[in-house]
Amino acid sequence: MAGTRAPASLHDVELAALAAAGDRPAFGELVRRHGSAVRGLLRRMGAEPALADDLAQDAFLAAFERIAEFRGDGTFSAWVRKIAARLYIRRWRREARFDPEAEVIDEGHGGEVSVAARIDLDEALKMLSPVERMCVSLCYGAGVSHAEAAEALNTPLGTVKSHVKRGLDKLRLRLAPPEGAAREPAGSEGHG
Amino acid sequence: MAELDFEMKLDRMFNEPPAFADAEPFATLVEMRLNRGWNLRQMGIGAAGLVAGLVGVSQLLNSQLLLDVSQVTERQALAFSGGVTGLAKMSANLSALPFGGEAVWLAMALGVMALAFAVTRAVEGFQ
Repeated sequence: MAGTRAPASLHDVELAALAAAGDRPAFGELVRRHGSAVRGLLRRMGAEPALADDLAQDAFLAAFERIAEFRGDGTFSAWVRKIAARLYIRRWRREARFDPEAEVIDEGHGGEVSVAARIDLDEALKMLSPVERMCVSLCYGAGVSHAEAAEALNTPLGTVKSHVKRGLDKLRLRLAPPEGAAREPAGSEGHG
Repeated sequence: MAELDFEMKLDRMFNEPPAFADAEPFATLVEMRLNRGWNLRQMGIGAAGLVAGLVGVSQLLNSQLLLDVSQVTERQALAFSGGVTGLAKMSANLSALPFGGEAVWLAMALGVMALAFAVTRAVEGFQ
């Protein structure tokens, strides 16, 4: 049934089923739909644009290899983003750039913040330390729970929660409305 | 509540992918890598099959299997010719019957036709 329709008119789950049967054009359509989300996530996690694109390609190739594992329980985009996030974490850890206990540089509370930065998540994320940025992007961008993030980063759960909380506090100051910025930030348990 | 609102807002912001001008070339690049990997895999499988086939043939030639097969074939040919001889004798005996050998052959042919008809009906009924 799905094979007779154009890939662009099919749902992600149908395209994934076709791809699982070896239909590469169907998978190409999935890449067209979700490529930007994966590339965007990797950049938000802190990857340089060229590296982010390379890893996004690798993530899609890995997704094609494991496409039979995608059951359609969640969205295809979230599934590939998780794969991409894990690839980036592996890369990060291999290059020994990740120190979960590193002192967090609090560069977010001072200086003038532009109007554009207040509404631009990408700009706001740049104000976070690399570890905070990684943890926040993992939990909110890749849909990973705190526990999963802790496992992926090989870091204690409490440390991940602290990084997420500090990252959220900084983001809130920039992204929330002015009256929100004046309030005392509360603890974050939403994605645990 | 404000905490939850902010987290939901953050979720939404993360779920809005940035627009990339080179989105189409990126997808094309992934497809090219996919096709290249696929072709390489097919070539690998083909090469492995060829090597396995060559190894199998060489093993076959080096073994006594062909000799054994020829001996078995000889025995089968002898048995077959014996069977044909027996059938010819039986046919000669049939001519001694009061209604003639042609009647027996005709009955057998009708039987085969009836069997074919029954099988056809059975297949149609099954479908």
